[in-house]
Amino acid sequence: MRVWLTSPWIPAEWVRAHGLEPRGLWFEDQFCSQVAPGSAGVCAFAEHAVQVAETQPDAAVIFTTTCDQLRRGFDAATFQGRSRGFLFNVPATPSPAAKQIYRAEVERLGRFLLELGGVAPTPEVLRREMLQADETRRGLREAAQAAPACSVAEAVAGCGHRRAFSAPGVAPSEPLVPLAVIGGPLRAAEGNLFEAIEAAGGRIALDATESGERNLCPVFGNADDPFDALVAGYFENIVDVFQRPNTRLYAWLKAGLSDRRARGIVLWHFTGCDLWRAEEQTLRETFGLPVLPLEAAEGARLSPREVTRIEAFIEALK
Amino acid sequence: MNPAPRKLDLAAWDERHEQLRQAGLREPDYGGSLRRHVIHGQDFRLEQLHFDNSPAALRLWNFLLTENERLAQARAQGDKIVGTMKDLGTVPVMAYALPGLRAFYPDGAWWTPCLMEGSDKLFQQADALGIDASFCPARAMLGAFENQEHFPAPDLLICSTGAVCDDFSAIAQRLEHLGHPILWWEMPRRRRPAAGEPPCALPGNLVAPKMLVDCVQAELQRVREALGELAGRDLDDLLLARGIETANQVRRLLAALRKTVYAAPAAPLPALEMLVAEMLALHFCSDRAESLTVLAGLLAEAQSRLQQNQIIIGPDAVRIFWVNPVADLRAMNLLEDLGGRICGSDFMFSHALDLIPEDLPPLEALARIALADPMVGPTSDRADRIVRECRENQVEAVVISRIPGASHCAREGEMIREVIQQQLAIPAIELEIPPVCDALLPALSSRLQALMEIARARRTE
Repeated sequence: MRVWLTSPWIPAEWVRAHGLEPRGLWFEDQFCSQVAPGSAGVCAFAEHAVQVAETQPDAAVIFTTTCDQLRRGFDAATFQGRSRGFLFNVPATPSPAAKQIYRAEVERLGRFLLELGGVAPTPEVLRREMLQADETRRGLREAAQAAPACSVAEAVAGCGHRRAFSAPGVAPSEPLVPLAVIGGPLRAAEGNLFEAIEAAGGRIALDATESGERNLCPVFGNADDPFDALVAGYFENIVDVFQRPNTRLYAWLKAGLSDRRARGIVLWHFTGCDLWRAEEQTLRETFGLPVLPLEAAEGARLSPREVTRIEAFIEALK
Repeated sequence: MNPAPRKLDLAAWDERHEQLRQAGLREPDYGGSLRRHVIHGQDFRLEQLHFDNSPAALRLWNFLLTENERLAQARAQGDKIVGTMKDLGTVPVMAYALPGLRAFYPDGAWWTPCLMEGSDKLFQQADALGIDASFCPARAMLGAFENQEHFPAPDLLICSTGAVCDDFSAIAQRLEHLGHPILWWEMPRRRRPAAGEPPCALPGNLVAPKMLVDCVQAELQRVREALGELAGRDLDDLLLARGIETANQVRRLLAALRKTVYAAPAAPLPALEMLVAEMLALHFCSDRAESLTVLAGLLAEAQSRLQQNQIIIGPDAVRIFWVNPVADLRAMNLLEDLGGRICGSDFMFSHALDLIPEDLPPLEALARIALADPMVGPTSDRADRIVRECRENQVEAVVISRIPGASHCAREGEMIREVIQQQLAIPAIELEIPPVCDALLPALSSRLQALMEIARARRTE
């Protein structure tokens, strides 16, 4: 059974170890940034999660508590027993109590996966899945230093659900303006944001969207119990905007922006995403880089207006 | 002899205040005419509002509108100021348990642009700080922190996070980036216990896994330690238990007031004063002892009026349940002008109206009440409580007021409305109230009138 994950901070290895098929929702084939008429202020990503939950009875959607939109989306999807879903509480703080909550949520998710027909994993199976995921992420982190963002994004998408991993190709060497794309989930492989940036003379030096390199942060230590390592490997390495304080995100961005010599930031967010939109000015103040906010348009592709804005942004940086 | 209950505009209250004064009205040190808040505080919105004509209401308004002065005085006297954010009703119980601490909600600045009709420029300052009108009016808080013209800079800032509104979480994070350190504590999403999971009863007929209560308790322990450090003494269980007892006195008074007013065949007090009174539950308007006196005065007034068959809104008024606080206080007047009356409310802090258990270790009791927050649990829990209270008070229609820009409003209103219509079969509407709603009055009036029409028509069906 396919299990759609709405956040990279839900351990995909745990789902796979149960014999089920985890996928990031942002790579769902029918993904479309549209919301139902009359639902002003609803985030298209959260709405899509609701629609998938309601229309794919043979799959399950794991919502998260990382934002109000997904929390309320879960309420809407499961309202009066409409569909099957699970709300995973990803804590916002790094406190010991928060870690306890995270651990309990992974255990609770395991019970849910069993209800879906999954098989309780042995420590060996879990360890194997974690080892493989760890190696894949390590390879991708290394490849991301030089590979084109599109192929890195595709490979990141693949590491969520494929066992095989092929390293992405090498980025072109011509002088292009290095940019960072920061923000919420982005269907990088099929959207035209990266294409528009490259066509305008830019280069994605750092893909810090939810579906990009931040996905690769979990690292597993050598704990005796693989479950302990799984919990710690995720909980201690979450890098996201919803964390309070979100200093881990800024530390990660600082290193990434500096290493990749980014000269500008494209801030990608969905309509109604308060968490990312509120960071626009802080990003500017913290890193001293120009920031171009871009809102996910209706439909999967960028509008001509947004393409023009990207062109102007890059032209100003040349 | 007291005049019959009626609503007065500001000019009429000037006259009434003078009469009361000449008749020997004794006021607290923060008392005086309401007009002075317009002259000295630029609270221009008062000129558009209609107020209850009782001395108890006068005291309530003066208490509300002098909070910033009270905080400044407390600071001058050496008290430490604690800014508590988002949890709405829990951390202040802890702070006020310690002598020398005053807690308040900077969140409350969301009403400042309404009261000052925008002359405060807080929204413009929030815009300049990167938080524009697409965020909820709580963004006014940012400007207030930066210009220091409203409340004093807190000595300690505490904010709950996790399963809370994105707007507020994002605004508070921006505040921290601007150089105001915050002690964040985790508020997990409330859920029902799974099979085999030890349950724990919460106030408000709710239940959660014991494990979640334990985690919130651990988080509140961090808060307790920080408050103790600020106060220079431990916040021990004895102090905390006393703090809970006093908070419960406030909650009992409010419960009695709500029951007296909302359940009565005709309203002895107006909706606007009831809204303000409910807000006192959150942090006692920065003076716990005085909030008890203010509420006791309102309750006595309501009871006395009912005994004398004196009412302010007639029995024919449509009985309305109101969901979410209004960004513009004038909306409460509007509802009554159009023939409605409030007979129940959920202003997003129903947990702050429930009694805190006194038969439990105090920190656990506070953890339970914190987890009963309607905003951290499923929308269906919130809707169930609304339905229950609608039934108790024979509510005829429900108004769900959207808060401009608030992330939770995008979905929850529709779900609440669906439950109401299924379980109660009464009309419900969703409308948005901006901080100054004058320009939208015709549209708001039309929608509210339509709701009243439908509710009235159902009486004869």
